[in-house]
Amino acid sequence: MSESAKVVPLTKGRRRRRPEVRRAETREAGHDASEGLLVALARVLQAGGGGVNWARLAQVWSAFYFAWHSEEVDEFGYDPKFAQTILPFFEFLYTMWWRVETSGVEHVPDRGPALIVANHSGVLPWDGIMINLAVRHEHPARRECRMLALDMFALLPFLAPLLAQSGAVRANPENGERLLRKGEVVGVFPEGVKGVGKAFKQRYRLARFGRGGFVRLALRTGAPIVPCAVVGAEEIHPKIASVDWLGRPLGLPYLPITPTFPLLGPLGVIPLPAKWSIDFADPIPMDTYGPEGSEDPILVNRLSEQVRSIVQGMVDSRLARRRSVWFG
Amino acid sequence: MSLRRTAVTGIASLLGSRVLRRLAEIRPPDSLVAIDVAAPPPALGVRHHAVDFTEPASDQRLLELLREEEVETVVHAAFFTSPRRDSTYAHELESIGTLNLLAAAAAAGVPRVILRSFTTVYGARGDNPNFLTEEHRLQPSPALSWVRDKLEAEQHAAAFARRYPGMSVTVLRFAPLVGPGVHTFYTRIFDHRVVPLLMGYDPLVQLLHPDDAVAAFVAAIDQAPGGAYNVVPSRPIPILTAYHLAAKIPVFVPHPLAYAGADLLWAAGLGAAPGAFVDYVRYLFVADGEKARQRLGFIPRHSSRDSLTAYLRYRHPHAARPAAEAAS
Repeated sequence: MSESAKVVPLTKGRRRRRPEVRRAETREAGHDASEGLLVALARVLQAGGGGVNWARLAQVWSAFYFAWHSEEVDEFGYDPKFAQTILPFFEFLYTMWWRVETSGVEHVPDRGPALIVANHSGVLPWDGIMINLAVRHEHPARRECRMLALDMFALLPFLAPLLAQSGAVRANPENGERLLRKGEVVGVFPEGVKGVGKAFKQRYRLARFGRGGFVRLALRTGAPIVPCAVVGAEEIHPKIASVDWLGRPLGLPYLPITPTFPLLGPLGVIPLPAKWSIDFADPIPMDTYGPEGSEDPILVNRLSEQVRSIVQGMVDSRLARRRSVWFG
Repeated sequence: MSLRRTAVTGIASLLGSRVLRRLAEIRPPDSLVAIDVAAPPPALGVRHHAVDFTEPASDQRLLELLREEEVETVVHAAFFTSPRRDSTYAHELESIGTLNLLAAAAAAGVPRVILRSFTTVYGARGDNPNFLTEEHRLQPSPALSWVRDKLEAEQHAAAFARRYPGMSVTVLRFAPLVGPGVHTFYTRIFDHRVVPLLMGYDPLVQLLHPDDAVAAFVAAIDQAPGGAYNVVPSRPIPILTAYHLAAKIPVFVPHPLAYAGADLLWAAGLGAAPGAFVDYVRYLFVADGEKARQRLGFIPRHSSRDSLTAYLRYRHPHAARPAAEAAS
């Protein structure tokens, strides 16, 4: 380790961190650039007013950037240091704001590829982030879960880089197959836009599962499918109406109207604190059909429908047990 | 043993000259021929034939030359690495020049042709997968003649490969070169203190070290396996991270303004590339190097970050402490 690795992180003591996660990330990031920021700032201060020039400012600016970004990212742009920086915020949402209750996460295999298939809801892709956290924090093997993000999010200016840096990958068959072949856990929302943008009165009624692309992906790679049901996300941004003609110029399929947005302006983006649950079902093995099964549209459709009904069943049974939207 | 000679074109370009120099190290100089308007360094001892590919009769001249020298392999590297204002000349050299060379090679019965190409021919598009494989369709923006000419050269090569089964045509699509000795419009961006950047976009880019490019080129000349191969670095880098490594002060520009602004600067003779090039800093055009790894045995020794760090060290050998060196 170089001398730059000795520095005490700025965030020390503010919150608990899982030591095994932090070790892995320090190794990946190579060094702690927060030292760079302090040193660069000190240089500017030391130089006084006369010594401030473009070169020094650029150094401070660069050091500030690398205080919360890695210098190397993975092939899909996942930046472990950035993910670590925003993790406390997501942990707050997970444990305090939505009080997520997880069951069956051990159904995700300890090693090797798996495809988590979940219902999509909540206008913004919060459910993906929460599933990712559930697998990372509650699974005995602390597995990473790469969520496949819809094009409407993965190509949206400003949101797109944030999603890529925090580990999400644009949803397309090539990307999914590449990740599964590397043995990763991949999360996918086959409902797509129809799911995440459904109206409030349609809540918890699962939309069509695309055209079974996720089943073909699992068949080709032999990765088991783990059905997953998210309850609570439908109530965080209740979409009572949508303005399509306003959304389109912004590159969005819809612009949602909720009780708080756009009425409260930026405050309307704050999701409501509903009580969440995330349930995982027994994995469905896919290697029994062989990769040639992906060419059989009848089989693909049948499996797709099977997974959809399992997820719908899990959602329904949670809803039947739920007494309050806010308290579970 | 006759018919063993290798002819290299475009020896004034960085890649062409480096490949010729490398070949002269590992092969007897008599087995090499340089075909270019410019002469190679006399120290190499390589025979030189001055041919202007843009002349109408150049195919006849090339045919005689290839026969007389008993050329077995033609390495075609006569392409511009930066956009040029006189696009007519660039078109004549790159598209028509390649056609002339291919026609001469086919008529002379040359069994192996190696064509230098660019990953930019895939086109930077919102719907590109994270990794473009060689089978992916080539559809760059038609507004960019700099890329269109390369695409046409590739199309000529593919047509000749179909028409002449005895001629093996190998196409190497190189990621943008960045490293010691490289001076292109792409590296010049890193020479300014303040650089414009697209607001809300941060795509991954691939920066290929010239040493890796030469190694892949020589491997392809040795094996001449036929078909297209991506030659890319081991890892991509987010464009914003690249700028911060180079300690630039970014100025964020909204993308509608960027296209118009770049076009205006280009028309005024100040810009480095026409507006359509903005696509390449907005969307992905990251290529997959797996095929070259498997079939050519080419394993890149540098990541994009390494290439950039090497370039910065080459440009600023006496810099006090470039941000890029903090990690090493």
